[in-house]
Amino acid sequence: MNEPTAGTELLNVTMLSWEFPPRIVGGIAPHVHDLSLELSRRGVSVDVITCDFPGTAEEEEIDGVRVHRVDSYKFPTTDFASWAFMMNANLKRRAFEILRPKRGLVQIIHAHDWLAAVAAIGLKHVLRTPLIATIHSTEQGRRGGIHTDYQRMIHQTESWLTHEAWRIICCSGYMASEVSSAFGLPRESIQVIPNGVDSTKFARPFSKDDLRRRYADPTEKLVLYVGRLVYEKGVGVLVSAVPRVLSKVNAKFVIVGDGYMRDDLSREARRMGVADRIFFTGFLDDDTAKALYRCADVCVVPSLYEPFGIVALEAMASGTPVVATNAGGLGEIVDHERTGVHVFPNDPDSLAWGILRVLTAEGLSKALASNAYEKALRVYSWKGIAERTERVYRQVLAEYSAGFWKPV
Amino acid sequence: MVSLRVIILTWEFPPRIVGEISSYTDRLAAELTKRSVEVHVVTYHEAMSGLFQAPDGVKIYRIQNPVETHFNVVTWDLTLSVEFERVLSNIYYQNRGEIDLIDAHEWLCSLPSLAAKRWFDINLVWTAHSLEDQRSASANAPLNIAIKNLELLAAQEADRVIVKSEFVKAELTRVYGVPDSKIDLVQPSSPTWIDEVMNSYKKAAI
Repeated sequence: MNEPTAGTELLNVTMLSWEFPPRIVGGIAPHVHDLSLELSRRGVSVDVITCDFPGTAEEEEIDGVRVHRVDSYKFPTTDFASWAFMMNANLKRRAFEILRPKRGLVQIIHAHDWLAAVAAIGLKHVLRTPLIATIHSTEQGRRGGIHTDYQRMIHQTESWLTHEAWRIICCSGYMASEVSSAFGLPRESIQVIPNGVDSTKFARPFSKDDLRRRYADPTEKLVLYVGRLVYEKGVGVLVSAVPRVLSKVNAKFVIVGDGYMRDDLSREARRMGVADRIFFTGFLDDDTAKALYRCADVCVVPSLYEPFGIVALEAMASGTPVVATNAGGLGEIVDHERTGVHVFPNDPDSLAWGILRVLTAEGLSKALASNAYEKALRVYSWKGIAERTERVYRQVLAEYSAGFWKPV
Repeated sequence: MVSLRVIILTWEFPPRIVGEISSYTDRLAAELTKRSVEVHVVTYHEAMSGLFQAPDGVKIYRIQNPVETHFNVVTWDLTLSVEFERVLSNIYYQNRGEIDLIDAHEWLCSLPSLAAKRWFDINLVWTAHSLEDQRSASANAPLNIAIKNLELLAAQEADRVIVKSEFVKAELTRVYGVPDSKIDLVQPSSPTWIDEVMNSYKKAAI
C-alpha cells in the first residue's frame, strides 16, 4: 500500500449520514458531528447532508461545517428499511442541487452505515468521486446472525456498500474483523480509527452533591449504567448481579436509558426484592447524563455485543472507574486492572465480582480512573482521530489521482 | 450522420418480457436506429434466457440488482436504480458527455433519470405506459404512495412526457398536475408513430 501523501491542498468532503444533532438516534449523530467539526478545524471543507428534524434550519453552518437537512420522506412506510431507501431517494435528489455549485470540487464522499448506501453509491458513480464508508455496526452483529429476508436485505446492502467503497473505516479492530469476514473483504481495505471522546464535555462545573442526592443516598455507592435497555447491552445481567453486590456493599444502581426490556427488568427487580435499589431514570438530557458519570463510584458496561463501547470511553473521560465485559471493542478500550476491570460477558457472578473489586479497593479504583483518563486523552481525542481520518482521505485521493476513473 | 444520441432506460427488454414495455422498447430501439439515432439501451436482466436478436446498431447494457433479497418492489427498484445510475454515468463519460436525451420508461427508472437531468444536464423524456393510480385501483397503502412519489418525481423532472392513450394523458394531469402542453400522445398503432416519438424527442432535446 502506498505511503500516505502529506498533501496540504484544500480537501473537500461530503458526509452522508441519516442522523446529525439534534436528530440523535444512536452513536452516528455525535460521531459525525464531532468528526466534521474537528476536520473543519484542520482546514478540511466539510458538507454534511442529513435528514431534517423539527425545529432545525434546512441550511446551517456550525463552526465552518455546512449542514444541509433534507426532507426525510414523511409518508407512511411498511417498515424501517423501506423508509430508509425512500429517504435516500430524497437525499440523493437534494445532493445534486447542493453539490452543483461545487461541481469538480468534491473530492471525497464519506458515508456512514448502510442507511446512506443508496445515495452514496449513486453519487459516487455520477460524480466519479471516491467513496469512503464508515461501518459503525453490522446487521449480523446487531441481530446475532441473519435470520430473516428483511435482515438479509440489510446485510446485502451493507455488503454492497463495503464493496463499492474505496476504503472502509471501522472504529475497532473487532469491527474490522467482523466486517472483513461478514463481507469477504481483504483486511487491508479496512482502516481502524477509533471513536473519539471530548473530555471537556465532562469538565463543566455543576453541583455534584445536589445532583448525586437526586439519585442516591450519600451512604450508598452509586453504580451507573448508561445505554439502551436491550438484550445485547447485557443490562439484564447487571440486574441479576444486583443482590450479589448488595450482600457486600450498600449501593444504588442508577440505570439511564430506555428500551423494550424496561418492564421486564423492573419486574425482575421487584421479584428479587431489590426494586428500591435500582433507579430507572429513562432517557436523560446530555448534560445531566455527562454530569452523572462524575457522581458515580463505578460505571458498568455489561454488553454482550459491542462494536465499539462509547460508554466505557465516556466514563474514562469523566474520571470514573469502569467495569466492562471484554465483548467486541470493549476489549480494546479497557485494559484489565490498568484502565478498568474486565469481567466475563453474560456472567452475573463475574460482573458482581468486578463491581465489588472497584467499590472495595479505593486505591485501585483511583489508579484505574486516572490511568483511564490519561488513555482517553491520549488515544481517543477527536484531534488525533480527525488527523488520522484526513490521512485516509489523502491516501485515497493519491490512489484516485493515479487512476483513470475520473469525470472527464 | 447521427442525428440524436439517446439512452433508453427500461426494466424489461427482450429476451426478458414481463409486460408490453419489452416489445415496445425493442421496436423503439430498432426504429430509432433506422433513423440514424444512436441508441443505448440500459436494462435489467438477472439471467440471460430465451433467444433474442438485438436490433442492428443498438448498444445494450444489462444490469443486475446489487442487492438480491427484497420483499417489496420499491426497495428492489431503489437499489437497482443505483446500477442504472452507474451504467448511464459510464455511457455519459465514455461518450465525453455527448448524449442528447434520456428516455426513461415507467416509475422504475425515475431515480436514475433524475441524476441524468440534474447532474449531467441531459434532457429527459419520461414514457408513462400506465400509472399506479389505475394499476392499483386508487390504493393508498404505503407501498402505493411510495410508487406514486416516484411517478411524481419523473413527471416533474421530465421535459416531455410520452403517453400512449388519451386516458393516461388525462390521468397524468388529474393525479400529478402535469400541464397538457408537456404531454405528447403517441399511439404505437399509428403509421407515423416513430416520427411522432422523434418529434417529442426533438422538442425535449431543445
